[in-house]
This record gives sequence, structure tokens and C-alpha cells, in this order.
Amino acid sequence: MTANTQIPLFALLTSLLASVIIFALPEKGHRLRTSVNLAAAGLKLILVGVMVWGIFHGQSFEFAFTMLPGVQFVLRADALSMLFAGLSAVLWLLTTIYAVGYLEDSPNRSRFFGFFSLCVASTMGIALAGNLFTFFLFYEMLTLSTYPLVVHRGTRQALKAGRNYIIYTLTGGAVLLLAIAWLHGLVGDLPFRPGGHFSGLEPELQGPLTLVFVLLIAGLGVKAALVPLHGWLPQAMVAPAPVSALLHAVAVVKAGAFGIVRVVCEIYGLEAASQMGLLSGLALVSAITIIYGSTRALYQLDLKRRLAFSTISQVSYIILGVSLFGPVGVAGGLVHLVHQGIMKITLFFCAGNYAETLGVHRIDELDGAGRRMPGTSVAFTLGAFGMIGAPPLAGFVTKWTMGTGALAVGMDWVVVVLVVSSLLNAAYFLPILHRIWFAGQQQAWPHERRWGRLETSAWLLWPPLITAVALIVIGLLASMPFSPLSWVNLIVEQEVMQ
Amino acid sequence: MMQSSALLLLAVLLPFASLLLALNPRWQTIYRYCLPVLPLPALLLALLAEPGWWLEMPWLLNGGLWGLDELRRAFLILTALLWSVAGLFATGYLPDRKLRRFCVFWTLTLAGNLGLTIAGDIASFYSFFALMTFAGYGLVVHEGSEEANRAGRVYLAMAVVGEMAILTGLLMAAQLSGSAMLAEIPAALVDAEQRWLIMLLLIAGFGVKAGLPLLHFWLPLAHPVAPTPASAVLSGAMIKAGLLGWLVTLPFGQVSLPMWGNILVVLGTIGSLGAAALGVRQVRPKTVLAYSSISQMGLMVLMVGAALAHAEAAGAILAVLALYVLHHGLAKGSLFLSTAMAVPAGQGSRWGFWVLIALPGLSLAGLPFTSGAAAKLAMKEVLQPAGFGFFMADYLPALMTAGAIATLLLIWRFLWAQGQVARAGANPACMWLGWGLATASSLALFWWLPWHPSLPGIIWVASMVESAWSLAWPMIIATVLAAMAWKSVKQR
Repeated sequence: MTANTQIPLFALLTSLLASVIIFALPEKGHRLRTSVNLAAAGLKLILVGVMVWGIFHGQSFEFAFTMLPGVQFVLRADALSMLFAGLSAVLWLLTTIYAVGYLEDSPNRSRFFGFFSLCVASTMGIALAGNLFTFFLFYEMLTLSTYPLVVHRGTRQALKAGRNYIIYTLTGGAVLLLAIAWLHGLVGDLPFRPGGHFSGLEPELQGPLTLVFVLLIAGLGVKAALVPLHGWLPQAMVAPAPVSALLHAVAVVKAGAFGIVRVVCEIYGLEAASQMGLLSGLALVSAITIIYGSTRALYQLDLKRRLAFSTISQVSYIILGVSLFGPVGVAGGLVHLVHQGIMKITLFFCAGNYAETLGVHRIDELDGAGRRMPGTSVAFTLGAFGMIGAPPLAGFVTKWTMGTGALAVGMDWVVVVLVVSSLLNAAYFLPILHRIWFAGQQQAWPHERRWGRLETSAWLLWPPLITAVALIVIGLLASMPFSPLSWVNLIVEQEVMQ
Repeated sequence: MMQSSALLLLAVLLPFASLLLALNPRWQTIYRYCLPVLPLPALLLALLAEPGWWLEMPWLLNGGLWGLDELRRAFLILTALLWSVAGLFATGYLPDRKLRRFCVFWTLTLAGNLGLTIAGDIASFYSFFALMTFAGYGLVVHEGSEEANRAGRVYLAMAVVGEMAILTGLLMAAQLSGSAMLAEIPAALVDAEQRWLIMLLLIAGFGVKAGLPLLHFWLPLAHPVAPTPASAVLSGAMIKAGLLGWLVTLPFGQVSLPMWGNILVVLGTIGSLGAAALGVRQVRPKTVLAYSSISQMGLMVLMVGAALAHAEAAGAILAVLALYVLHHGLAKGSLFLSTAMAVPAGQGSRWGFWVLIALPGLSLAGLPFTSGAAAKLAMKEVLQPAGFGFFMADYLPALMTAGAIATLLLIWRFLWAQGQVARAGANPACMWLGWGLATASSLALFWWLPWHPSLPGIIWVASMVESAWSLAWPMIIATVLAAMAWKSVKQR
């Protein structure tokens, strides 16, 4: 059983140690740094794979010690944490490959990759955290390790965005800490537990617990970019493309959404939360965020900014899903954690490719890009259709599952939200696709670079192609074992059985 | 069983596999000559299919089920045949410019159209339907002109809204039936509380594709601007996908819905006569043909309405509808292809050429001993008002006659318009072959195609002699009207 206690710790340490080693390496050691990076990412993928296999066969993985009296540090691998850890491990590997190509010959790579690994270590910790306190530690570590990445370019715009980011997230963190402390005072140290803790609750605790819930959501909602706490996200897109990709797909926004899932499902419990009337409010806020994000995205002329507003909208699908009362809706929300990650990382990779290869940042400069960069453009097209929810891509599986879940519990209005959001998604993605494939190139590319036979560097081309294929496969094979949907159904079974 | 599964998979996967040819720009010449081959496994499947050829794929989406029943078989014959001859035509028609892009979108649209015809589960059906819709955009805007882009925008906007209506309708229906299969939907709709809403969503959603009046605006814009072989499949085959959508989801034969029947009969009438009224005022031959498609779809909507209104008659009507679909698709495909043909030199061959162009058109209007006559007679046979109890039923014979007159007026208009713009010259061999095969299959092959067992006997040649007059007099009226109009124009 020793192995079972160690594995979660090792999974965390792979990226933590990689980070330390990379900081220690000289700036010039390009090859060695890349090897360390890729080896760590590969190792972590294996460790996560071992845990997924173990959990599927009923094993448990836990590492814990007492930090202060009454406060435990717990790393535990359960089905839900594997959803996030698996996503993070797979996308870390791809993003590392991408980042190596993207930052070729640029300064401060050592610093970049050091913080990059630290950031991934934090997401691992967030995924594996077994209670709110441990979760909070890594949540704040994530904030601190992403700041240097956001301001990496060091331009005035980047520094401004970084300042904004740090103000938003630290304030959110403070609110979260307050809420956690209050909750600790009320009911003590609560581990995350399927089904939650508050099913048979004394009435006098209801009032404070409702307040704590609001605070928790407010704290977590900053990173999850819930309206009106989303202001930092569109600015943070000044970060280099691999950072944006990771920020939008796995690290920051997902950490917030994942935290909300933990709080709703495993602290309060779905049943208790809905009985206390907490879920209706959450559903409303997320529905507003979905529509708001999509509407704002329509008006953006910068490609990455449009994608950023799209993230605001899409991440709230997850939150809307868990506030749908019923198991099918929760499954739809949780599965979007993975689906949105893969779709959005594809889109950001592609946006990065257009910027790096052609110097294109604005949507109206994309005319005719499909001819010049067919591989990237095919990946972008698939990502965009996935976001719209076109079948049989990953986004469709989300939409169908959530829609079914909403109808099953009589929340028909959610279907309207999904449809309106899909229409808006179509309205802001399809014109881009028209430009890419059907508009003729009007002027020379702003800053074109050439890489031999391929349309762009192979390091930049393969990651989006792989994720684009993945989003077809996980859509088409949604009913296979170990598909995100099947895994999520496993989680939901546990949540509801309690 | 093994072979049928293999053939089913091949029919759908071959178009996808051909996308590999797009990887290298130098392979586009090979790709061009592959276009007519891609639908052939599907055609083989449609011709050989036997009951019980269903392939279950529980690992696909929410559980996949592909196969053919009698209804889908007729649709698949048309789809595969028309795509194949249009593909043949395209190999001669297409310039080298942007050939690769055209081939990719052609293939994707084809894959969607074939796939939706054999899909038995909701998720595959909707996936293929969406694939056809979105890839079809590439065909519509291919020419890249301002007009094509505008038509594409209207097409896409309406199609996306239609997709959303379909999605919502299917979601609600699947929730009711508790199954991922299309076949469970009709029964689940019978006593559903929200039946009206689900039916409204499905009728409107698929109606966009089928050119239902008020949802048709994109159609006369988009069908004509596409390259000619694409127009042929848009108007001949893809328009039928909307109809198929209705036929596999609405509760035919389960419950009589006179209210929906009346609405659809009225809509069908508006479609068939209104489109003709608008169509005869068009100048461009392809636009006239697009309106003619809306008009013909109107007649099919009429039948859909009657089948919804009267559960007992639904089986027979659906069989006739399949016949009509086959007839119209082949004839319309042939007509569209003929718009790109140059008129050969020489008095005799010119006359023969125009006769060959006119024949599928006359067939649409019900010329005796053509597929159109068979379809029209069968339609009359099953739409006898005596058997129906709904309000609009009494008007059905009159409406059908009016429809026949309107059809032929449009055809005369088309021939006149085509005569204005047709250029003299030579045609590539592949275009001759594609158009010739389309015309031949519309006129001759039609009679050898496998038939639905429950069709009325009246459609056969022997009985057609007796009813020749009933077919001929609306045509005479239309011809007289057309001649009068032509004369008055000439005098002006």
C-alpha cells in the first residue's frame, strides 16, 4: 500500500522538481531544458494513467499529514480529481511542446519554463487536494506562478494586464480564505466527499452556510471568470500564446470552475445545495455569464480577445451544469471541463500559429489564411465547430448531455440558453471561418516567417492537430469506457449514490 | 451479415477516406476523377439492400445504428445516383482553379448526405445532417463572387437557425422517448404533452432545408449561384434531406393530426403555386429551376400533410412520396446539369439536344409514360378525398391539377430562359456523359429501380394509357397559357 500513498505526491513532485531544475539550468541549455520538461511531462502522464487505472479498479490513493491541529494537508486521487489531473497532464505535455517551438530564440526562457512547470504543479495540487485548505494552498500558488507568465513579455500592456490580474485574483483569494476560515469555524475541517456533508442539516446553520456559499463562489468565481468578476481575463490575453492556451484551457479558469464543482458537489452536496436554494442563484449567474461572454465576443476584432470572451462564456457551461439539480446535467457540466479544455487549447494554439507565422492578430487580417496554413486552419475550424456544438464533436456531447439533463429536471429554460449561446457562437466563429477558407488574401501577411516545407514549425503545428483529432475522437467515441463522458458518469454515480 | 456491414461502412467511410487526396496539391487531378466513384458503394448498397441490414455500433456517440428500410432505400438510390452522375459532370465542368477546395467540400457534403440517409440513431443523423449543411456552404460560395457570398450568408444564417430548431426538437423528443434511436420518436410523440412544440420545431427546422414557404428565402439565392453540378445535388438530393427528416421523426401512422394536416396542406399549396408565380418572373434559368424545386417540394408537403392528417393512409402515401422523391430528384438534377451544356452545332443535333433537355421537365409536369406520370398518378390515387376526414382534403384534386399546370408553366419559362442564354459550342466528354446519364436515369432507368411493395398498381404503363387524358389536359392548358404569354411578350 505504500505505493498508493506515494503516487499522488509523486505526480505533484514531477512538475515541482522540474520547475526547480529548470530554474537552476543556465539560459543557454536549451536542449537539456527541453528534455527535462518533456521527461517530467511524460512521467506525470504515466503516473496519472496509473492512478486512473487504479481508481477504475476500485483502489484508493491518499497522502495526508496534519499541518496544524485541526488542519490537514491531504492529497487524494478520486474519480473527480483524475478528470482534472488527466486533462492537465495531457495538455501540459502538448503545451510544453508548443511552448518550446513558440519561444524559440526568445529571451528569459529559463524563467518562463520554470514558472510554467510551477503553474502545472499547482493545477496538479488543485486537482488532488482532498480538502478546502489544501485546495486553497495550491489555488494561491497558482496565482503567484501565473503572474510572471502573464507579464512575460514585459511590455507596458502586459504589466498593466498583470497588475489587474493579480489584484483580481488576490482579492478573490482573500475572500475565499475568509469563507474557508468561516466554514472551518462553523463545522470544522471537512474533506471533499462525494455527496457532500450537509444533507441532514440543522436549520440554524442554514443562514451562515448560505453566506459562506456566496463568499466561496465569489472567491472562486474570480478565476472562473463569472460575470461580473471576469474583468481580468480579456486583458490577460496579452500573455504569450502557450500561456493563454494553458490559462484558458486548464490552469486558471478551470481551477475556479473545478473549485466550484468541489464546493457544490463535495462540501455542500447537490441535494443540500438545491434544498437550500443555492443552485438556482448559481444557475442564473452562470446563464448570464454564458450569454454575456458570447455577446461581447461578437464585438471583438482581435482574435485572441474574441477567444477570451468565448472562454468566459464556455467555462460557465461547467457551472451551469453542476447547478442543474440532476445527475445528467452534472455530467454535462463536468464533461465540459475536459471538452472545453481541449477545444479552447486548440483554438489558442492556432491563434498563436497565425501570430507567429504570419504576424496576424486581427480577425480581418485572416483572409485567405487557409491556403497558406491548411493544417492550422483545419484544426481551428474543428475547434470552432466544437465550440458551436456541432455534432459529432466534443462540444456537441456536452450540449446534448446538458440539454437532456435540463429537460429531465424540467428546467427547459436552460435549453434556450444553450441554443442562444450556440447561435452566438456560430455568429462569431463562422465569419472567421469564411475569411480563412473563402476570402482571397488582400495584402501581404504582416510578419511572415518560413519554416521549410511545413506551413509553420513542426513544434507549433502538431499540438493543435493532435488536440483537433482528439476533439473528434472524444465526441465520436463518447460511449466508450475511459472516454471523458464515461468517466464523468462514473463520478456522477458516486455523487448521487450518497 | 458481414458483407452488409462492410458495405454500409464503406458507403459512408469512402468519402471520408478520399479526403487524404487533399493532403497534396498535386493529387487534385486524381481527386477530380474520384468524384463520381465516391457514391458508388452507397449506390450498390441501395440496390442490394435487404430488410434487416442494420449495423449496431454501441460505441458510437450515444449508440450508433446504421441501415436501410424501404423508405431510406429510395432516398439512398436517388442520393447516390445523383451525386455520382453530378460528380461525373463535375470532372468535366470544373476548372483547375480552387479545384482541391471544391473537392473537399463536395466530398464532405456528399458524406453528410449519404450518412444521414442511412442513420438510424439520432446522434448520427443529426451529425451527418449538420455536416451536409455546413460543408454545403463551401459549395454555395465556391465561385467567390459578391452574389455568392451574399447567398452564402443567407444560407448559413437560416441553416444555423434551422439546425438549432432541429436540435431542440430532437432533444425534447429523445427525452420523451428515452431512447437514442430515431425509430422511437414517432410513438413517443403520440401522447406527449408538448407534442405541438416538438412538431413545430422539427417541421420548421427541417423545413428550412426542404424549402417550406417563408423558410425558403435562401433557396432561390443559393441553389443557382453554386457551380452547376453542386446546384444539381443541392436541388435534387440535399433538399430531400429535410423531407427525410420529417418522415423519420413525425408520428406518421401513429395518430391522425388533422390540424397539422391542414396547416401543411395550406403551406404546400402556397409553396407549389406561390413559387411558380415567383418563378415565372425570373430571367435566369437556374433561378427558375430553384423556384421549380420549391414548387415541387410544395406538392410533397401536400402529401406529408395528408399523411399526418390521416394515420391509416400514411403508409401508402409515404410509399408514393418515396417514388415522387426519386422522380423529382433525377429529373431536377438532369435539368440543372443541362444549364451548363453548350448547344451542339447542326440542325438535327440541336433539335435532339433541346428535346433531351425538355423531356425531364415535361416529365416533372406528368408527360404520359414518363416517371412524372407514374408519380402523379400514384399521388392522385392515394390522395382520394373520400377517405380523408380533414378540412383541406376536398381541395386536394384541384390543388394537384393546379400544381401540374404551375409545374409546366415553370418548365416552359425555364426552356425559354435557357434558350436566351445557351451558347453554341462543344462540351467536354465527361459533361456529356454526366448529363446524359442523369437524363437517361430520369427517363429510362427509373422504370427498373426497385420499388416499394405497397405502391398502387396504377403507375404501370398499361394503366397509363387509360389515364393519358387526365395527365394531358393540364399540360395542354399550361402550354396554351405559355404560348399566349410568349406571344404577348413578342408583340410588345
